[in-house]
Amino acid sequence: MNAIDAYHLPGLRNEDIPRWEMRPYGDGEVVLRFPVLTPELLEILVARLRLACAERLAGRPVASVVRALGEAAARLAREDDPCRVLAEQALPAITGFSPPMVRLILDRMVADWQEEALWRLLRAELGDPEVLDGFRPRADDPDPAVRTLTRACGPELAFQIFSGNVPGVAVTALIRSLLVKAATLGKTASGEPLLPVLFARALAAVDHDLGECLAVTYWPGGEEALEAVALRAADTVVVYGGREVEEQILRRIPPGKRLVVHGARLSLGLIGRPALGHDVARRTAAEAAWATAVFDQQGCVSPHVFYVERGGDTPPEQFAGLLAAELARLEDELPRGRITPAEAARIHQVRGAAEFRALGGQEVQLHAGPGTQYTVIYEANPEFAPSCLNRVVWVRPVDDLLEAATYVSPYGPYLQTVGVAGAGPRLEDLADRLARAGASRVTDLTRMPFPPPTWRHDGQQPLRELIRWVDLEVPEAPDS
Amino acid sequence: MLDLEGQALKLELFEIFRRGVDEPLPDHEFDRLARRVFEYQFRHNPPYAAYCRRRGRAPDAVTHWTEIPAVPTAAFKEVKLVSGDASRAEAVFRTSGTTLGAERRGEHYILDLSIYHASLLPNFAAYLLPEGIEMPMLSLVPPAAQMVDSSLAHMIALVVDRLGSPQSGYFASVGGGIDDEGLSRALRRFEEEGTPVCLLGTAFAFVHWTDRLRERGERFRLPPGSRLMDTGGFKGKSREVPEEELRATYEELLGIPADHCVNEYGMTELCSQFYDTVLRDRVRGVPPRPRHKAPPPWVRTLVVDAETLEPVPKGEVGILRHVDLANLGSVIAVQTEDLGREVDDGFVVLGRAAGAPPRGCSIAMDLLLRAAEESRR
Repeated sequence: MNAIDAYHLPGLRNEDIPRWEMRPYGDGEVVLRFPVLTPELLEILVARLRLACAERLAGRPVASVVRALGEAAARLAREDDPCRVLAEQALPAITGFSPPMVRLILDRMVADWQEEALWRLLRAELGDPEVLDGFRPRADDPDPAVRTLTRACGPELAFQIFSGNVPGVAVTALIRSLLVKAATLGKTASGEPLLPVLFARALAAVDHDLGECLAVTYWPGGEEALEAVALRAADTVVVYGGREVEEQILRRIPPGKRLVVHGARLSLGLIGRPALGHDVARRTAAEAAWATAVFDQQGCVSPHVFYVERGGDTPPEQFAGLLAAELARLEDELPRGRITPAEAARIHQVRGAAEFRALGGQEVQLHAGPGTQYTVIYEANPEFAPSCLNRVVWVRPVDDLLEAATYVSPYGPYLQTVGVAGAGPRLEDLADRLARAGASRVTDLTRMPFPPPTWRHDGQQPLRELIRWVDLEVPEAPDS
Repeated sequence: MLDLEGQALKLELFEIFRRGVDEPLPDHEFDRLARRVFEYQFRHNPPYAAYCRRRGRAPDAVTHWTEIPAVPTAAFKEVKLVSGDASRAEAVFRTSGTTLGAERRGEHYILDLSIYHASLLPNFAAYLLPEGIEMPMLSLVPPAAQMVDSSLAHMIALVVDRLGSPQSGYFASVGGGIDDEGLSRALRRFEEEGTPVCLLGTAFAFVHWTDRLRERGERFRLPPGSRLMDTGGFKGKSREVPEEELRATYEELLGIPADHCVNEYGMTELCSQFYDTVLRDRVRGVPPRPRHKAPPPWVRTLVVDAETLEPVPKGEVGILRHVDLANLGSVIAVQTEDLGREVDDGFVVLGRAAGAPPRGCSIAMDLLLRAAEESRR
């Protein structure tokens, strides 16, 4: 395969680029080409983006933006679309995910970018999406003395910093800021720098103007001279990633900018007695295995632990065995991808440690595949501990599902999704406790990996975080 | 303390240590000893024996030392891996603690410190003092009395005591960190006297000390023959510095050339250590070659595939497994997470286990539990 250009920089000609970086992925079967930008080039780029926003985006009806985004997404949904073909070819080597995993992720993510899904998102967050186009009556206005109109303004330029290797996360982020009519500069992560570029290209192909409002490229994170330009030019900065990136940006962001952070999160599963009946336990295990396997457990939505209730037909120890069997089965359908030697070494350490806990008399059972593909550790000790990921998952017993919330509360600031099976009528009570423990989403196991498009991302409303409301108060004319 | 049988084995090992690092130990001899040590441990170390049995590797099923089951370093956090009575251990070395405290510290029970010492001294002397000389040992690690469970502090105490000249000293304390003033004063004095010195410390300590030297505009031209041993990585610390950059700093601020800078690679779970061969090569007139570490004759290091744990062809990258006869009192074979590659007479360490950051948007245990580790010892 020839080098793939992994940037979308409207207005920049190749001859303007002083240097290129070639970056090999996998065993070198995919090579990406990135421009080595200078601060001067980036200055020109961000100025163009701001101008494009003013001239081509700010005055456009939101409906036409939604239509264009939806059309671009529809292209990526088509099996024979060149961008889709390229994504399927290159993303396994780039991200390490297996080809079936890449296909699954693409299919599920792309569905959320379709026109209908975008309308749902807009309505869920803004009520009336046309507040993005002009002043609309405020439905919630309680004051009879004035008639209040309101509108939502997005930033002129959003600077988004992506992280991680999960395909699609960055595209969702780009769509969010375009929806609120912000020109957007996306800095990709080395772990997945391609799909956002392919999306940008698809978008430019269906709607040239919108394509001019979007720039996507990669540079090594922390390049202060470049980032200083972007941070100064943007009104809003959106950061994905760990605490380190967040702290770095916090130190350097000029005053007066809005900062939105989507940090790393962790998730878990809870399985109650009704889901452990003889007739359903295997299906529950299959669902739990699938939730673990998607994203090879690298997603913030991926479970680290399943708390399994005692007293059901299938005791927690036995459920661990079922879970391992289902993970083994998934190796055909949804194989785990390539991992680094350091990650494989870690899995062996984790397994060895579990084995020695068992040998030392603790109640621990290890279910491991022949390679490092999957590992299930049953451990009677109910204390929560994060996994080393890549399909290494714990099963811990609880007498009552409601207990589990207390074990995860120390990790509250990092909690995200809790996948629940078999809570029965206790579900709301349980969700209440999980909410207090820090979780922001409680769902069932099958929905765990793919939140709906209207998802309140980590408890926030992603569109509302980008916009600013403007109220217009019109005094009612006194009766005459 | 070891039992009588253990004492007898120890005497055989002492004979090997006494011959020093230059006397090669042929594979058949290493194999004979390794399997005897393994057989001894199998009878005296119940969790290790159970681990081996689960793998179908009781001593009668082990036909060569490469088949001896290796214990992952993480296991030292879970059980007492001691081949004898743990209550009679002469020392317990512990790995550094972690920020959340959810993970226990690894513990290495040392039944017989004399074995630890007998392995350490000839090896250190061969790679740090290959001229067979004595010089002031200046430690940036606090005295062992302040860090009783640190194998590194113990090691340095022994080196200062047995191989250092009377002017040796400690320039760090647990509460006070590095004594910059005292150290500068001492270095000026040795500089004026023309006495070469040997500085010892963690790479992390050197990074921060030299940062401060630079801030103050302080520089030394230590007398020719001065040398330095740094150890440990510093991943996850406030500042990560590539090795080459650090050695350039040593040269610039201390006047110690790169071929007098020896990196040590050791771990709490092993009684033997590994050193860069650069200084020894230089003194013995070996033409310069890529920096690497050479195990002493009583240790064999295997590079194994991280996925299958089977040895990889020479030159390929894998993870390091050490088989150390000096670990008689615990477990002979230790599986690390450290990446490395085999070279002619040893290996290159390509990265110490530092908890690979997760690739996605989840949080891995290492990130949450990441140690504020000075070194892993």
